[in-house]
Amino acid sequence: MDAILVSIVAYAKLILLSMVPFVLAGQGTMLGGRTGVFNVAQEGIMLVGASVGFLVSYLSGSIVLGMAAAMAAGALFGLALAYFTTHLKMDQFVIGLALFFIGVGLSTLLPKLIIGVTLTPPLVPTLKDLPVPLLSKIPLLGEIFFNQNVLVYVSILVSVALWWYLYRTKLGLELRSVGENPQAADSLGINVTRARYWSAIIGGMMIGLAGAYLPMVYTGTFTEGMVKGRGWLAIALTFFGGWKPLTILYGAAFFATIEVLAYRVQVVGTGIPYQFLLMLPYLATIVVMILTFGKTRAPAFLGQNYDRERRAL
Amino acid sequence: MVILRMEGIRKAFGGVPALDGVHFELHPNEIHGLLGGNGAGKTTLMNILFGLYRMDSGDVFLHSKKISISAPRDAIAQRINMVHQHFLQVDSFTVLENILMGAPLKESLTMRFGEEEKKIAAIQKRFGLEIDLGATLGDLPMGTRQKVEILKALYRGVEILILDEPTTNLTPQEVDALFLSLREMVKEGLSIVFITHKLREVLSVCDRITVLRNGRNVTTLRKGEAPEEEFVRGMVGEEMNLEKSILFSGIRESRAAPLPGGEALLKLEGAGLRTADGLQRLKELSFEVRPGEIFGVAGVAGNGQTELAELVLGLQPPTAGRVLVSGRDVRERTTAQLLGEDVAYIPEDRLHDGFLPKANIAQNLILGAQRSRPYSNGWLIDWKTVFASAQEMIAQYHIKTAGPGEVGGNLSGGNIQRVMIARAFSREAPLLVAHNPTRGLDIPSMDFVYSKFLERKAAGRASLLISEDLDELLLLCDRIGVIYKGEILGILPREKFEKYAIGQLMSGVRREA
Amino acid sequence: MTAMTAKTTSRSLLGTAIPYLLAILASFAAAGIFIALMGFDVLRAYSTILFTSFRTANGFIQTLLKFVPLLLQALAFTIPLTAGKFNIGGEGQLLAGAIGSTAVGIAFSHLPPALLLPLVILAGVAAGALWGLIPGWLLYRFGINEILTTVLLNFVAFSLVNYVATGPWRDQGAGHPMTVAIGEGGFLPMLINNPPLNAGIIVAIIVAALVYFYTTRTVAGYELVATGANPRAAKTFGIKTRLMFISSLVIAGAVGGLSGALEVAGVQHRLIEGMQSNFLVLGLIIGLIAKGNNLAVPFIAFFISVLEVGASAMQRTLLIPVEMVFIVEALILVFVLLSDVVRRR
Repeated sequence: MDAILVSIVAYAKLILLSMVPFVLAGQGTMLGGRTGVFNVAQEGIMLVGASVGFLVSYLSGSIVLGMAAAMAAGALFGLALAYFTTHLKMDQFVIGLALFFIGVGLSTLLPKLIIGVTLTPPLVPTLKDLPVPLLSKIPLLGEIFFNQNVLVYVSILVSVALWWYLYRTKLGLELRSVGENPQAADSLGINVTRARYWSAIIGGMMIGLAGAYLPMVYTGTFTEGMVKGRGWLAIALTFFGGWKPLTILYGAAFFATIEVLAYRVQVVGTGIPYQFLLMLPYLATIVVMILTFGKTRAPAFLGQNYDRERRAL
Repeated sequence: MVILRMEGIRKAFGGVPALDGVHFELHPNEIHGLLGGNGAGKTTLMNILFGLYRMDSGDVFLHSKKISISAPRDAIAQRINMVHQHFLQVDSFTVLENILMGAPLKESLTMRFGEEEKKIAAIQKRFGLEIDLGATLGDLPMGTRQKVEILKALYRGVEILILDEPTTNLTPQEVDALFLSLREMVKEGLSIVFITHKLREVLSVCDRITVLRNGRNVTTLRKGEAPEEEFVRGMVGEEMNLEKSILFSGIRESRAAPLPGGEALLKLEGAGLRTADGLQRLKELSFEVRPGEIFGVAGVAGNGQTELAELVLGLQPPTAGRVLVSGRDVRERTTAQLLGEDVAYIPEDRLHDGFLPKANIAQNLILGAQRSRPYSNGWLIDWKTVFASAQEMIAQYHIKTAGPGEVGGNLSGGNIQRVMIARAFSREAPLLVAHNPTRGLDIPSMDFVYSKFLERKAAGRASLLISEDLDELLLLCDRIGVIYKGEILGILPREKFEKYAIGQLMSGVRREA
Repeated sequence: MTAMTAKTTSRSLLGTAIPYLLAILASFAAAGIFIALMGFDVLRAYSTILFTSFRTANGFIQTLLKFVPLLLQALAFTIPLTAGKFNIGGEGQLLAGAIGSTAVGIAFSHLPPALLLPLVILAGVAAGALWGLIPGWLLYRFGINEILTTVLLNFVAFSLVNYVATGPWRDQGAGHPMTVAIGEGGFLPMLINNPPLNAGIIVAIIVAALVYFYTTRTVAGYELVATGANPRAAKTFGIKTRLMFISSLVIAGAVGGLSGALEVAGVQHRLIEGMQSNFLVLGLIIGLIAKGNNLAVPFIAFFISVLEVGASAMQRTLLIPVEMVFIVEALILVFVLLSDVVRRR
């Protein structure tokens, strides 16, 4: 009995731990999309976040600096996306792909240039658990919810804060109006360009941090292509989460559960070849996309640039 | 006494001048009509005043003080506001949220708006604008949505209110009500700019009238200072022959063929359309369009007009009854076959439903006919023939373009509409389905389209003209059916045409038998 | 076409070429500053990148061998793009094709070339088409966005390759997961033996020509273009747009599968984990630089092949990482896109 309980607690804790990259990347995508900026460079931004985060904490010896650097790198990508789409009015999807390419290239180029090619990859210390005083002493729940690394808390708090901001404040209402009908927002004096810049930059920061989580919590080092599609999964998550912060949070839990299960089943060993377990997150996503199709709605102006002076034809 | 003065306003879009040194003066407590055909520059001028467009040069004076407006928020701060033809609203928000967003409130970290609601209620009472503030905007009918726009402006405090083609989606009765409330607002101290292309409207409600043509001033006159003809001449310019104009001379009758007869080219027998989730879009439609007939469908936008067109084109099969084109059930043929054989189509939303902005003019002109001769043998496209006939159409329909190879997206709105017109009329199909075919055209082009309709009539072809412009229908049609919530409430023959009777049907009031 | 339009095309050809050249110059300049700051010799680096392909016969053949998968991957992207759909699943389709070809090549290894070679190629094409059919069908049936499904299927394909390459067909002697070789009857014939050049390039060029003919001259191609130009209008005017979407994705999958089949039959002769290299992203870059124009794709694919072969040489001789060139390629794309913005103003 106790053994089962212990393993349930261990699973639950692991799921919360594995949620973080999905939550951060999903909320980052959502925030940009709420003003109409559709970021599709997640995979590239996360790779850069992982690479830069790892490098900076390796060189400085500080995980905090590493995270800050990853966020700064993500913010730069968000800034670029905002500039190319608001000022230059370039196709959001195409420029997003270009940023994705640049991210993929930079993520492997930087370690090669800075550390060089080594046989055994250098390691950074991983993020330690930070028990919340008192609360972590609650039986079972304390271990699951309050004995985690700091980014677990942050990602959940950020999700709730975003929900409150978007749906319970007038500022959030105005931010949402930009993604629904920027011309209406503009005609009422809301600064569309500024809203797009900030949401894209902060969104990029969150996505960069999501990437840095991987070396800092999972592996201790950067490996080529280590994001393994999580960036793309985050886009899918945002879509079937209906671009709502709390639904995205639950969706991330679903992804994490599948990831943990696939990994655990593999360790326990069943008749199923492990390669098929590795496919599970991707296949499950496609199934969920089928199931939720038509039941969720994206911001009406998602992915479209706003040009005040474009004449209605 | 002048409240607002605009001087030497210039504005070009992509090198093409839209305004060329326009001046404009607004007096306090007046309704000032800004009259002109499409492309005259009326909306552009007012969008500059409202801060949506930036002028290339010129000056704006408010109360004799020079002001600079670079964004709508500057205009709002100067108590200038504008109700656009296409309402600038967020469909998924409530009325209250639409009114309050962007307003400078102390409460920006909560959604407690009780006090503001009271203010809004007071304004509503004063101007008789009854709207449920909690309703979701996308669910409201067009007339109500317009009231929301006016309320939005009044709530922000407005001295100069601009209305862009405000009568587009209203029934004649609603138009009268709007005019009454505009008078009320002027009494309360507002000054109003009323943009329209309809002479009759300015003559009935405006105190002074400024006429624009091709981005230049033509004249500014007090109502009654000049005869109607002078305004007409101002709108259309010197070149147009008013005597021959269908729009102004009303010589339709002399050109029209004798009363239509023969086998119906379009016949609806109790046709209905119900969506998968059970919404009744069209209900028991029964009418026919005979050779040489122009059958009009009147109604406020969104009452099933688009669905009716889609039904006739086979884009949606009827869920009840039958639709016959040239005597054959539409379900027997695909849309491609119908378009290749018997039907030509001008869709309402030309940019979205009728035009290929990324393809060239030639490719646009054969859309729908790509499988038929002479353009193709069914497998390969004969581009030589396509380009040759595209050249002809460009000349015949006055499409301003560098040639058939030019990318469609480069064209102006009016020229895109000419491409639609050329495509539809050059097919010489037995049946034409046209939905708002003259929207966005300047007056000579409108007249050209009308003459094409009459040519079809004379040649014994049938036309189904769906239009939200009642004047257009009254001018051209042999019979008019009025559609309301997917139902034809009545069909009137030409001798019984009467604006207010049709307006009553448009608002859903059935006529006493 | 008429004489007049021919004249405008030749004039606009120059107009199109100039922004491309400027974009290339700008990205080389931008990357050059970076390379110089890192303490490398910029001129040597660039002469290696640009001229390795043309200095030796081997270099040129290496370029042609790169050209084949890049061209096909780019076409697998641009064909659906013509209909306005984004296929980001080229590498999944390549791997599916490679698995199909390898499976047939090993299972029927005793067959004579006249039978086995067509079978190997067809199996690859069919497997790729099937891999393209999945997102195509999801789009057709449920209207599910193809971008995500095509991407996600890549990751499914990775696992599948690992499964096959570590299964019963595994080459026990190799350290890296790969299968044993297919029967020799499944090898593509050689055009030149030393340095080796297989017949895959002829197939690739024929496919590129067919795609161009299909999209510009046929009715079905017109309908594909119309769908891409405005799907709503195309549908309103009787074009079966959903059929256009699914068929374009299946054709793209077949072309992607062919790229895998040609790698197996022509170059590797087996399935190797990681054989997709970075062909997908390079294919996307090529397709986007070409702005979806199927006539431009082969030329840009060749140019990128030159850069890629030069990049490997640069890494070998100057120790500058190959990713540097990848960044240059991505920058070329950005600058080409920027030139559109400049022209619009």
